Amino acid sequence: MITAISWKNVWRNKTRSLIVITAVTIGVFAGVFSMAAINSSVIQRIDSAVNEELSHIQVNNKDFRSSADVQNIITDYPDVVSVLESTQGVTDVTGRIIIRGIASTAAKSTGVEISGIDVNQERKMFKLYERIIPGTGNYFEENTKFNSVLIGEKLAKELNIIRYIITDESLEYLEDERVSSAVISKLETLKGQRFTSDKKFVKAYEKLLDPSEAEKYWWQIKEAAWSYREGSKLILTFLDMDNNQTGAAFRVCGIFRTNNDMFEEFAVFVPEDELRLLAGMEEGAYHRAIARLENDDLTQSVTREVKNKLADYEVMSWKEIQPDLAMITDFIGQIYAVFMVIILAALAFGIVNTMLMAVLERTRELGMLMAIGMNRRKIFFMIMLESIFLSIVGGFSGMAVSEIVIAITGKTGINLVKYSEGMEAIGYSAHLYPTIDIQFFITTTILIVLTGVLSSIYPARKALKLNPIEAIRTE
Amino acid sequence: MKDYQLAWKNLWRNRRRTLITAASVFFAVFFALVMRSFQLGVYDRMFKNVIESYSGYLQLQHEDYFDDPIIDNSFEIDQALINDLKEDQNVKDVVPRLESFALAASGNHTQGVIVMGIDPEGEDRVLNIRNRLVRYKLKDEVVDNLINDTIPERTKKLLDIFRNEAYTSAERMMQDLDISEEDSASILPVIRRHASFPNEFLTSDNEEAAVIGEGLSDYLQTDIGDTIVLISQGYHGTSAAGKYVIKGIVKLSTPDVDNKIVYLPLETARYLYAAPGMSTTAVISLNSNDDDDILQTGIRLRDRISEPLTIKTWQELNALLVNQMDADNKSGIIMIAILYLVIAFGVFGTVLMMMAERKREFGMLVSIGMQKHKLAKIVSLEMLFIGFLGVVAGSIASLPVVFYGNIHPLRFTGEFARMYEDYGFEPIMPTMMPDSYYIWQTVVVLVILVIAITFSTRKIFKMNVINALRA
Amino acid sequence: MKVIEIKDLHKIYNSTEVKVHAVNGVTLDFDEAEFATIVGPSGSGKTTLLNLLGGLDMPTSGQILIDGTDLSTLKPSALIDFRMRNIGFVFQAYNLLPVLTAEENVEFIMSLQKMSTAEREERTMELLKAVGLADRADSRPSKLSGGQQQRVAVARALASRPKFVLADEPTANLDSKSASILLEIMEKLNKEEKITFIFSTHDPRVVKMAHRVITLEDGKVVSDEER
Repeated sequence: MITAISWKNVWRNKTRSLIVITAVTIGVFAGVFSMAAINSSVIQRIDSAVNEELSHIQVNNKDFRSSADVQNIITDYPDVVSVLESTQGVTDVTGRIIIRGIASTAAKSTGVEISGIDVNQERKMFKLYERIIPGTGNYFEENTKFNSVLIGEKLAKELNIIRYIITDESLEYLEDERVSSAVISKLETLKGQRFTSDKKFVKAYEKLLDPSEAEKYWWQIKEAAWSYREGSKLILTFLDMDNNQTGAAFRVCGIFRTNNDMFEEFAVFVPEDELRLLAGMEEGAYHRAIARLENDDLTQSVTREVKNKLADYEVMSWKEIQPDLAMITDFIGQIYAVFMVIILAALAFGIVNTMLMAVLERTRELGMLMAIGMNRRKIFFMIMLESIFLSIVGGFSGMAVSEIVIAITGKTGINLVKYSEGMEAIGYSAHLYPTIDIQFFITTTILIVLTGVLSSIYPARKALKLNPIEAIRTE
Repeated sequence: MKDYQLAWKNLWRNRRRTLITAASVFFAVFFALVMRSFQLGVYDRMFKNVIESYSGYLQLQHEDYFDDPIIDNSFEIDQALINDLKEDQNVKDVVPRLESFALAASGNHTQGVIVMGIDPEGEDRVLNIRNRLVRYKLKDEVVDNLINDTIPERTKKLLDIFRNEAYTSAERMMQDLDISEEDSASILPVIRRHASFPNEFLTSDNEEAAVIGEGLSDYLQTDIGDTIVLISQGYHGTSAAGKYVIKGIVKLSTPDVDNKIVYLPLETARYLYAAPGMSTTAVISLNSNDDDDILQTGIRLRDRISEPLTIKTWQELNALLVNQMDADNKSGIIMIAILYLVIAFGVFGTVLMMMAERKREFGMLVSIGMQKHKLAKIVSLEMLFIGFLGVVAGSIASLPVVFYGNIHPLRFTGEFARMYEDYGFEPIMPTMMPDSYYIWQTVVVLVILVIAITFSTRKIFKMNVINALRA
Repeated sequence: MKVIEIKDLHKIYNSTEVKVHAVNGVTLDFDEAEFATIVGPSGSGKTTLLNLLGGLDMPTSGQILIDGTDLSTLKPSALIDFRMRNIGFVFQAYNLLPVLTAEENVEFIMSLQKMSTAEREERTMELLKAVGLADRADSRPSKLSGGQQQRVAVARALASRPKFVLADEPTANLDSKSASILLEIMEKLNKEEKITFIFSTHDPRVVKMAHRVITLEDGKVVSDEER
């Protein structure tokens, strides 16, 4: 019965209650939604890291990380492979040759890490082939007279392999993307001009367009003019097994685009045989063995097992290679709790004030209840329930609203185009698809109820201090 | 009695409500200020690190160099040009550099590096590069020796954690090893004996020596006295190769750069790259580093120089960092906005309750002859007082935190610190001293109050006195 | 056994300047099914005596025995419980919870006593009928007239079958018609349920209907008439 009374009391002063409830709704929505955005960002980062860059477990010689010399190959590769394959939870294993060197074109050169890979095996373990920009080639499918190399978009831009040309197709693309016709006609004057670098192209079109137009459409314009001449070549130079400088010309067989600029700039892939030959390495020699697991959750346990079995080598899971990723997932829960606590603390002021008012304007009623025999515990409980109801109604509506918005934006995505440069530089996509799991909602509910309980303490104590005699005095 | 005196007295009639509402404003303001202070402090520090160790506030470049930073886009610089620039009132120094890429090799290790040909004196004047020399290094042998020597237990434990750390100053090392002021007198000499690192910077501008970054020396496993070979492409495509003795090791605060930097004397670099008299950039140091002064100086200098030279600002030189900080900044602002929005509702709720509670009182006042606008004024003053009470209290409460955080910034350790360093940031969180952002908090609270006041004033004017008296 | 025994009751207030001897040596008994009023001018100690009787206040000295139980021996939480089971209250106003209907208000106290739902519902309807408001069971207090509200209050007071009902100025806010209806009902219930009714009142109508009139002056009983 007390529950029913508390609930009805909430609605005695509709306006006042609605203001508090709206505030709680907004606060909870804000907290949950921002968390969904951040959470999705992290999930996407981990997915990229595991499925495109690192896979689950890496094995190399103990000193490989500090001294990445080409001579530092895995001492007994077949043994390592059989250990990995026989471990429960491992689905695929592959080996890579890893050599640091320089990639250069006529215009530029830059340091890269060259990975010689087993193409067929890697196709099973890494999703990189999905990231190849359409029109730039494929994942080592063709045989040509030149050695093939797969590079990242950032590297391709760095080496001026990617150019920008406005063609008729570009203009069509811009029309499809609903770019304003004023902008399109201005860009037409650049038709046919080839720009060898990102910055030169940007400078050219910024001269023609208004700053607002440039800011609004830069992404579409760059996409439209993006052009890659098939069959571009670059030279890879490095030290071979005898410490002699060696190298060869490679034909770019494909360009991949991920959200990780660092990866795009340094990771270069060639079929292992070609690299092995150039480096003077023996058949079956590898620097690194990589294992893929059934799912991410097995990482900790399987890595431990492999470490025990392969004690002579350096065995690392993706969490150890990029500890910041592992940490962030742990942190996310804590960061969220802190964020929500702050918001709820701010809301608590409003709830306390409201409850206080509610108690003080009902002194006679409360005095009467105490007189006819309602004990202190029940009265405290009655007030606490009222406070909890206020917070819960606001809290649940906040969660409901955020659930709806998350569902919508989860599909359409939020494009933080303006910050894509900065975010992709550290490996995060600027295109967010907010998502959140049950755990957050549970945490939120607990915090909301707690807020209701704590906010009621002061008003309830005030109520209990009332003297029934004075409270019911009406003369 | 004056209006504001009456307003002030009214506030204390319902002390609880006044205090709770003021407390909510206090909470928001305090929290917003502390958070902003740390955020802005971190940005400031990050930019300062990069500017003061690398880019400088303004740079003179060939106009094509920015888009295409290759050695072929270098420009000729001579004393006459430098003097011309120095004539500007805000220019303190002009320090030329020749910067390019090379493959560095030592023993079996190779690494891509940034080669910076510098004028050692000039670079030291402008960027205090000598301060960056490593003075103490906790190498394995050093740590083992120290553990056997007489130093406090807790320091011994910390020594293990900080193996292989290099320090440019004693203070930082003492901080990491938790050596207090009193103990330092006895412990420092012991540490100096074991961990001192004999180190020198470049002296002339044409010796065949190099100074490299600590991260690079670790990777290449080279030490002072070892030789390093540099191979690259020179001006107009000539091949470049040279052998240099490592004379010194520096530690830069941006790990990204620290892992790849090789300083050569300017003429040595020019010789290596076959680019006599050329520079890729010239760092311009200023007397005043105010945002506005930097801008104005840039404009003035642009008028002084002629094609194909140009002036670049630090924002342009660090566009990526600016973008990242901007994103982070916006996210911080959003969070504070949410906080204030929530508090605003609290304030509105209070206003509502207050109006309802005092209906009869207002009716009475107006019926005995008080003008409505005077009543509205008093009520408005009451709300302004509450708001300012909260703002002032919040601001004052934030000051100790801000001051402390400025002098003793939050320093991350362990995993967290590594994570920051991996991203290329220094793992430190200083605060920013009170600045315009303090004013913003007052502005926001004012806006909230104005909206609340509008509401209450309207209610007063719409009030029907008879109904009010019956309440 | 007497329902209420009051033995040499004193209550002294130590207010700021003066000591007020509100109840100054009152000794009274009440039997079952009595219909009594306590009258006296303002300041006579009426309200204080009623508060003491109802266990809302503690005497400075003296005893109050209700059905043999000495109120002063009860701990505060036990006292609250005792009130709930043994004493019914009808106040001048604010008797009912505005968020509950008439029926719910009557039922409420029985739910505190943990009676079964069936029992509660039966007794509620019984009482509402007795006060003539069975048809307004679903109305909230705001929809009832002052007199009707007071009648519901009476029903509520009787719901737990208390030993006696204390009514502090129950008719003060009512017009004459409502007042007389209320008093009739209370008298009927007094006879039917055999529950003692003790009023404190200025209202002559109440005094007229009472079977026993106790007059207080300066905290002392100056007259105690049976009619």
